[in-house]
Amino acid sequence: MSSFPLVCNYEGDYGLKLLLVDTADTMDAVADQARKALVGVVVKAPRPTAVLRVRRHGDRIPLPRSLKVADANFFPMEAVDIYQADA
Amino acid sequence: MSLLNNSDWYDIARQTNWTPRYVSEVELFPPELSDPYGIPASEWSKFDEPYKVTYRDYVRTQREKDVGAYSVKSAVDRVSFYKSADPGWKALLQLHFGAVPFVEYGSVSAFARMTRFGRGPGMRNMASFGSLDEIRHTQIQMYFGYEFLGTDAAFDWAQKAPNTDNWVVISERHAFDDVEHTRDAVSAAIMTNFSFEQGFTNLQFIALSADAKRYGDHSFSAMLQTVQSDEARHAQIGEPLIEIMINNGKIAEVQRLVDISFWRVWKQFSALSGVCMDYYTPLAKREHSLKEFVDEFICQQFLRNLRALGLQKPWYWDEHFLPDVETYHHAQHVGMYLYRKTGWWNPVAGAGPAEREWLEKKYPGWNETFGEVWDVITDSILKGHFERTEPSVLPMLCNMSGLELSGVPGKKWNVKSHHVDLNGRRYHFGSAVDKWIFELEPSRYRGHLSLVDRFVAGLIPKGPDGVYEYMSMAPEERGRCGQDYQWAEAFRNRKAA
Repeated sequence: MSSFPLVCNYEGDYGLKLLLVDTADTMDAVADQARKALVGVVVKAPRPTAVLRVRRHGDRIPLPRSLKVADANFFPMEAVDIYQADA
Repeated sequence: MSLLNNSDWYDIARQTNWTPRYVSEVELFPPELSDPYGIPASEWSKFDEPYKVTYRDYVRTQREKDVGAYSVKSAVDRVSFYKSADPGWKALLQLHFGAVPFVEYGSVSAFARMTRFGRGPGMRNMASFGSLDEIRHTQIQMYFGYEFLGTDAAFDWAQKAPNTDNWVVISERHAFDDVEHTRDAVSAAIMTNFSFEQGFTNLQFIALSADAKRYGDHSFSAMLQTVQSDEARHAQIGEPLIEIMINNGKIAEVQRLVDISFWRVWKQFSALSGVCMDYYTPLAKREHSLKEFVDEFICQQFLRNLRALGLQKPWYWDEHFLPDVETYHHAQHVGMYLYRKTGWWNPVAGAGPAEREWLEKKYPGWNETFGEVWDVITDSILKGHFERTEPSVLPMLCNMSGLELSGVPGKKWNVKSHHVDLNGRRYHFGSAVDKWIFELEPSRYRGHLSLVDRFVAGLIPKGPDGVYEYMSMAPEERGRCGQDYQWAEAFRNRKAA
């Protein structure tokens, strides 16, 4: 378990943010960390029926929710989109 | 004994040149400092500057200008004026006087290098006056700013800024080191005098001067105009230089220099002038929006000058520059407000009901994009959650501009990073243009670390105050909301109604 820098593009935000996550974090945990940092600060709360997904910046397909950062083959400072998807 | 007329002797004096005997031409003018484009010396002697001035006339004119500017200043009780000024105007003055003087001071040496290493004697002559101009610009702006030091410590940044690693200052140093200070005399002159000075200084020094006059800050307005009167002269170094380059088959090289520098300087002025014009200047006193000023001074005047020289508008003009005019400074302003503690000035939101109406009119779609971020900020303030108006995460900075890597928020959410991987390091850029500039010369830029890179690399002291310590910002120097959140109260009444 160690710190890993990601660059987060949270849906609705005006710019990218540095997100220091843990290599043991799942994509759900990464999304939740971003949500806690940014909802009510720059963006409104997600739709009640939505789930937050993570994908590599610019990709169409989200990463599996249970995938860990350590197994995602991320480049340090990789940019990820965190966006609302239907549950 | 009567003096000769200038016209009787001027052309001899301005063309002072000689054939070196004790060293070679290459030793006297090393290409990497002087002219790497191989233009023959005989071509350089054709440099013909549009404005010609003798030293005697220069001293007389500059003295008259100083008398004009300083007398306006002394006629107005500046300290009382400042104390009663709108918080937005205070923010504007604080930002200007911290951000600008050291860039002017840097230009003193940039012109001095053109004086030493310019191949054209007429260019060397003009650059020596340019160097004196920039000393004047540094002095007058530090002097005017320092007057407020007893009232507001933010103005200490007129002197302090370049001696810190504040993120805004890092961004400015990177841009102006790139354009002015780390290139040969020819390239630096094209980038500085043509792109920077002819293209953009009108925005901060003429357009803003109009806002200052409307606001009633006649002293600041006079100061800006007197600075710009010098720019109008020494910025003319660029055009005859470009003509010589083009006549010697170097049009592609000139175009590239213009394309690089225009974008680099645009990023700086968008953040500085754009935020000042569209957010800090009190609403009733705004002459025009940034977009309207850019249309006049850049899209019309600068493009006209560009085409008259035989150059094209930069390749990115339609797809990247024009959309950027509508969006970039809005995003930068949000960031400057949210991360206000990292700046030396006290920003105002400029997002009250009337301001939002104006922004929507000038930038259709503002409310459903940037307005949505301000909705969240407003809501936090109205609920008393002031801590939520300061993010707990750092913003990502563009590895070229050093400013926030931003885009469009809200309903039209569109934020893109353009990245390059080099030697195991990922570089992020806020636009395809920033990325293009990097890729032209990676060895030039690859070693630079943005403030965020330094944080990730462990170069910033640990702890909640680590970033501020790194930027040499004591608690009392860190920005706060210039209106103590009172701007949001207008929405409470609206909600209640």
